[in-house]
Amino acid sequence: MSNILEVTNLTKHFGGLTAVSSLDLHIKTGEILALIGPNGAGKSTVFNLVAGVFAPSEGVIKFAGQTTHGQKPWDLARLGLARTFQIVKPFGSKTVLYNVMVGAFLRTNSTQKAREIAEEVLVTLQLDHTKDMLAANLTIADRKRLEIAKALATDPKLLLLDEVMAGLRPTEVDDMIGIIRGLRDRGVTVFVIEHIMRAVMALSDRVVVIQFGQKIAEGSPEAVTKDENVIKAYLGGEYDAA
Amino acid sequence: MSRKQLDRILLAVVALAAFGLPLVVTSPTYLQILILLFFYAYLTTAWNLVGGFAGVLPLGHSVFVGIGAYTSSILTLQYGVSPWIGMLVGGAIAAVIGVIIGLPTFRMRGAYFCLCTIAFAEGIRVMVENIDTLGPLKINGPRGLLVPLLKDPTFWDYQFMSKLPYYYIILVLLILVLAFTWFISRSKIGYYLAAGGEEPEAAAALGINVANYKLFAMALSCFLTALAGTFYAQLMLYFYPKGLMGLDLSFEIAFIALIGGRGTIAGPVIGALLLRPLNEFTRIYLSDMLPGLHLVIFGLILILVMIYLPKGLTAPLAALYDRLARKITGQGAAK
Repeated sequence: MSNILEVTNLTKHFGGLTAVSSLDLHIKTGEILALIGPNGAGKSTVFNLVAGVFAPSEGVIKFAGQTTHGQKPWDLARLGLARTFQIVKPFGSKTVLYNVMVGAFLRTNSTQKAREIAEEVLVTLQLDHTKDMLAANLTIADRKRLEIAKALATDPKLLLLDEVMAGLRPTEVDDMIGIIRGLRDRGVTVFVIEHIMRAVMALSDRVVVIQFGQKIAEGSPEAVTKDENVIKAYLGGEYDAA
Repeated sequence: MSRKQLDRILLAVVALAAFGLPLVVTSPTYLQILILLFFYAYLTTAWNLVGGFAGVLPLGHSVFVGIGAYTSSILTLQYGVSPWIGMLVGGAIAAVIGVIIGLPTFRMRGAYFCLCTIAFAEGIRVMVENIDTLGPLKINGPRGLLVPLLKDPTFWDYQFMSKLPYYYIILVLLILVLAFTWFISRSKIGYYLAAGGEEPEAAAALGINVANYKLFAMALSCFLTALAGTFYAQLMLYFYPKGLMGLDLSFEIAFIALIGGRGTIAGPVIGALLLRPLNEFTRIYLSDMLPGLHLVIFGLILILVMIYLPKGLTAPLAALYDRLARKITGQGAAK
């Protein structure tokens, strides 16, 4: 299977701070990859680099076989890369349907067609009952779903999900796991940042762990959680791996 | 009767009333007040493309009115070009200057953007006031330009002996620009402008080049604004920089939009219907006491509207119409 995303030697400096340092990672088409790490490890920076928000200081990002250097977020969206934001960004004064139609317009110029695509996506995410509500009035769980719905309406090949589980109740987390699995079954490759380990274990085919911008472990969810470096990173250096 | 039919009937009644109004209002003074009302509704609708849909607050649109007036008048005075043609040239120049102003300023947000548009607008006005001739073009500095009264003007001269043709010209322009914004707001461009205005980062992630869409809206808005400048020049036959390109006009456009309802189709018309008569009567009856009092009154109204109806007058009126329409069409209130 080919790799939809290949990141080689990725480095990003912000002034004197190195947020991401010589990171290599790849995602195979059709898999779910999780990126985890302690707060401030550089996870969201990696997402922003991949999504074209920042330009890398060094290194190469290849998306669908194409180097993305210099491409802006809107160019990458057109190529099939969609993302959600950790702090959700709904178009609050508009209805849920309007929000999703904005995404759907990427693949069509017809308002009618965009509405059809949006309504279909809303059904997939079980949000169709909220379609006439203002996005600002949604519950946090529905806002997280709306983020995914907007991204999904652009018909992406690769979907970056930035902490879509954070702030959800356990039953809502279970629903979300089901939704993300459903996306993969539709043929979307998924790259998640997540803190809720239960979700990471249930969802991901592979896990990459970073700390201080560097990769410290990679592998299956089970292997990674037993890794000595990972336990140290999360619990602190003075604890020995049992 | 369905809701759609009711909407259509209402629209038709309003349009018919507007076309028939001169049968009742024959006094040139009142006709002039109506013409200016439509003129302001038109300007605010054009402004609304940027200020409403694209979510920024430009406060320098009087410059584009000025560009329209100066371009068509100079072309008529010096080269004998019909103002109808000059109007389009002025629109094109305004669009280019709008994009030039937009390129650096659309990077800024909120108050910084407002201040920059004011600075650009005032800068251009001061320049026009201090230029007598620009190459072969006679701009005439602070004295402004006088469009000579013709003896037997034809339609091609864009000059008429009575107010009536002006009334119908601005009414048709207003209807066209309203139809245009209605169309825009329901198309991809409208969705993209609204998204980019509200959450630029999220919009970019959905494939929208926000800056380009804003520039496009700015070009359209400036083009349409300049057309009204030519209309003003032909209506008044005299204009000067301070009166036409000053901040008063820019602010009044923003006042009308904010009070009527930014980003709505009907907002500019509703705002103009409220504020224009108020402006005229405070000017007629109160200006002896204190010139500029009407702007103070506008300010007070704006404060009240922003506190009690932050989305402007259109939203509650639309809700009221919605309720009435349900009663008339006999449909239940439940969705």
